[in-house]
Amino acid sequence: MAEPARDEVRTRLEKYVGKPMGAPSLAPDPVNVPMIRHWVAALDDRNPIYLDAAAAAKTRHGGLVAPPAMLQVWGMPSPKLEGIAERGGSPVESAADNVVRALDAEGFTGTLATNSELEFVRYLRPGDRLHVSSELESISSRKSTALGQGYFVTWVTTYQAEDGEVVGRQRFRILKFDPGTIDPSRRKAAS
Amino acid sequence: MSTTASPQSRDVRVGDELPPFELKLTSTLIVAGAIASRDFMPAHHDPAFAKAQGAPDVFMNILTTNGYVARFVTDWAGPEAILQRIEIRLGAPAIPGRPLRFSGRVADKREAGDECVFEVAVRAANDLGDHATGTVTLTLPRE
Repeated sequence: MAEPARDEVRTRLEKYVGKPMGAPSLAPDPVNVPMIRHWVAALDDRNPIYLDAAAAAKTRHGGLVAPPAMLQVWGMPSPKLEGIAERGGSPVESAADNVVRALDAEGFTGTLATNSELEFVRYLRPGDRLHVSSELESISSRKSTALGQGYFVTWVTTYQAEDGEVVGRQRFRILKFDPGTIDPSRRKAAS
Repeated sequence: MSTTASPQSRDVRVGDELPPFELKLTSTLIVAGAIASRDFMPAHHDPAFAKAQGAPDVFMNILTTNGYVARFVTDWAGPEAILQRIEIRLGAPAIPGRPLRFSGRVADKREAGDECVFEVAVRAANDLGDHATGTVTLTLPRE
């Protein structure tokens, strides 16, 4: 049986596995009603526990809470729009050496989220300010996908309140792919 | 939509189907979700950028997908529901002009203290295939 070709890119990525994905961050804003209102409008979510304080007080939540699926939103950094195309669409300028930047530099500039596992330890309330930290869990071998050649990258983000209480976690998997290696027959199947 | 009252947990049985929901997808909705979730990746608002990446058009970001999965389940489970987990796998892109059909089924029910824990199998599909499939775990009070 032929020896599989050594994947130098994957070898260079190994140093990131099990390591923090950049420095921990503090959410730009505390959990707040204006951002909840914006989200609720975009999602047309009529659950009264997010914006109707009187109705929320009558439920077992006891008052307003944030939509649980907003967990990831609170940690999203403020974007740097200038130069976004040159960074392959990355909305942030990260000085940190991390696996996503490394894959961008190797030509795997495309990004597609493939899996998300959100865990809510407790619902958040206006005023909660979150600390966010992520650790790289795994990197796959090189895969051939409908979008081109790429790697599946999985990390776990932990969300903590200011006193250190873990309030939620997310395991997230993305495909970092090279749009230049797309197989036309597979592209047709995917569109 | 039943967002004003939660079902009684004793009335919910494994195999129950959630009321189906069809989301008419527009570029506006996709962009609104991306910006409400502070996701400025160009593939979620710039069609030319999305096409250069091999996607047919702008596509919904995963934060918005999670939001709609949560909303679909809580439209049924009501204001007393507490979501514990949302686990989804993403497939076909959710893109403008292709309605997304949500369906769900109660897959498991167990008692835990003064709550009932439910697992709901969820699927959001368009005519390209499954956009998101997965499981939402939630609790309702026990009567």
